[in-house]
Amino acid sequence: MANIALFLQQTYQEPASDPTAGYVPSSGQSIWQHMGVALHDSMYRMLSFFSRLLPSLLALILAIAILTAIGALLAFVLKRILVALKFDERLAKNRSADITSSIQDWAPSHSPTVLVVRTAFWLCVVLGFVVGISAFDASYSSASRMSSFLLPYLTHSVGAIILLLVGNIVARFLARSVLIGAVNAKLAYARFLSLGVKWMVLVLTAAMVLDHLGVGGNIVELAFGILFGGIVLTLSLAVGLGSKEIVTRSLERSGDKLPPRPMDIPVKPSEQLRHF
Amino acid sequence: MAAISSEVNTSSAATAAPTSKLLVVLTPLPSEALEATLGRLSLAFIGNNITVSTPDLGAEAAKSLGQDFANLEIVSDDLTAPPPSGWLLSAADFVSLYKTLQEHDAAACLLLGPEAQTLRVEAMRALASAISSGGDLAVPRYATGSREGLVNSALLYPVSRAIFGGQPRFPLAVDLGLSRRMAEKLATVAQRFTAANQNDALIWPIAEACASGYSVTEVDAGARTLPQPAGGDLNAVLAQVGASLFAMIETNAAFWQRSRVGGGRQVTKSLAAPGDLPDVEPMIDSFRVAYKNLQEIWSLVLPPNSLLALKRLSQAPADGFRMGDSLWARIVYDFILAYRLRTINRGHLLGALTPLYLAWVASHFLLARTGVDPEVHIEEMARIFESDKAYLVSRWRWPDRFNP
Repeated sequence: MANIALFLQQTYQEPASDPTAGYVPSSGQSIWQHMGVALHDSMYRMLSFFSRLLPSLLALILAIAILTAIGALLAFVLKRILVALKFDERLAKNRSADITSSIQDWAPSHSPTVLVVRTAFWLCVVLGFVVGISAFDASYSSASRMSSFLLPYLTHSVGAIILLLVGNIVARFLARSVLIGAVNAKLAYARFLSLGVKWMVLVLTAAMVLDHLGVGGNIVELAFGILFGGIVLTLSLAVGLGSKEIVTRSLERSGDKLPPRPMDIPVKPSEQLRHF
Repeated sequence: MAAISSEVNTSSAATAAPTSKLLVVLTPLPSEALEATLGRLSLAFIGNNITVSTPDLGAEAAKSLGQDFANLEIVSDDLTAPPPSGWLLSAADFVSLYKTLQEHDAAACLLLGPEAQTLRVEAMRALASAISSGGDLAVPRYATGSREGLVNSALLYPVSRAIFGGQPRFPLAVDLGLSRRMAEKLATVAQRFTAANQNDALIWPIAEACASGYSVTEVDAGARTLPQPAGGDLNAVLAQVGASLFAMIETNAAFWQRSRVGGGRQVTKSLAAPGDLPDVEPMIDSFRVAYKNLQEIWSLVLPPNSLLALKRLSQAPADGFRMGDSLWARIVYDFILAYRLRTINRGHLLGALTPLYLAWVASHFLLARTGVDPEVHIEEMARIFESDKAYLVSRWRWPDRFNP
């Protein structure tokens, strides 16, 4: 870093504040000289940008590396302590507690100890990112165009990735819930309904991610509105048309136009199935 | 391999008089049902002074009602908290039962659940007698029709028998005879749930008795109206009972992996005539719809062999629709394993079991139409569950082992 600074000092001089200072009219050489100055100026700015960028990049990498190492150490110590305390067994003994069952539901490999250890480790890694990005941010002046353009993407991209992951998990969970519920309700279009819900959540997630990143602006909002509305309308039409007969029968029956269907006639208690 | 130390005796209604230290605890009952129950209790224990604890009456009302039944001392226990659900015995019931037992310093007790007014006098006497003669847990065997207690027949009974060696036909019976130590044991287990405000959690007396090495006696109770869940939503209730059963199996894994099971039991003929069987078409349709849509979820839980058998089953005509007992046993065991391993969300897992259970019910009724007694079929299936227990133990210990 010091070499670059020295190189810059020796090789280039700070350009004059007046851009026309070196301009000599009616001289063939002065144009080349002017172009050279401009090129030197660009090179100077580029190299000085790198000279400012490199320390902050180094700070970012160092922050991540140090906090990852701290996280790994903390995870190791935590694991030792929790294993020594028989944390899993203690939780299993008190398995009736709400908090325990929810911890176990999220725990990988059915071990709350692993969950705690991994959470501690990843928290440290995320903290490293936050500290590193702060250092990165501090190296720019607030007026820097690059700072105001690049940094929001860098910081927002972390949130966008989390949104994307959560959205995918929620979409999968809801799709399965709807599928199983619809199948148990004997709906023939269960899969279609489940897919519809899944895509609705995915579209919503995609719109949220783009909005979070500040990409697209009004286009995303508009496109999301059209797409989401389209999916809801399609589902409504599909379900509505699919159950057209049921609705018609229901309306007609409410007007006493039709006798009750055989399936509506109450079943004698002796003919009922009692599952319990 | 330690053998299960619980011994099971099946006896007909006993006539021996119970001890005077017997306490009868009732769960909340409507006033008419309460009077009918007290009448039956009075008749069951003629010549014996019995203390009956009920949460439904104030002290004055209990005293005045006690005058109508000379041999009953009716007490109103404030300790008895009203149970949250009311169709099965829950953790809250067992905790309040033990508090009442301590309050009255009784040596044994009868716990009579919802709809107790329909329990026969002989059954009350037989439960009391089984406990008075030194048993720890007396469980009634209700006489049910072929349309009743299907979850019990398909799931609770065979699993309880195969895994814990608990022979009683109704593992979640709503009437129980309990020794003091058995009541204490169940209250200890129940307290873990009530402490976490899960008053409606189900407790499995037979599993706890088997795991503790207490004796279990089954008594014939005849016909009784079994309480039904409010709303009657099969999915919700199957999820509740299934989750409780699977969680209990997980909790007691250390015990049942070491225990040996076996031993037959006397089969009681079913009450229903073969012609008195329901229409199975809706159940088969439900299974076929599920097969089209839930393959992706089932394939996460079931091995290829089972999936292939389900495919064949979905293509079978209604007349030839037969879910083999071994297939059903494997399905249940694989769902237990998936519950333990959290292969998929537990709510989804139990939801995905419902259509398979309906397929079993349809197959069971179709078999009954051919003249096979439903009770004989259930006993056969329970034996298959027992013989296939090694599969569960093996996969429980080594879940990642290749499983075709």
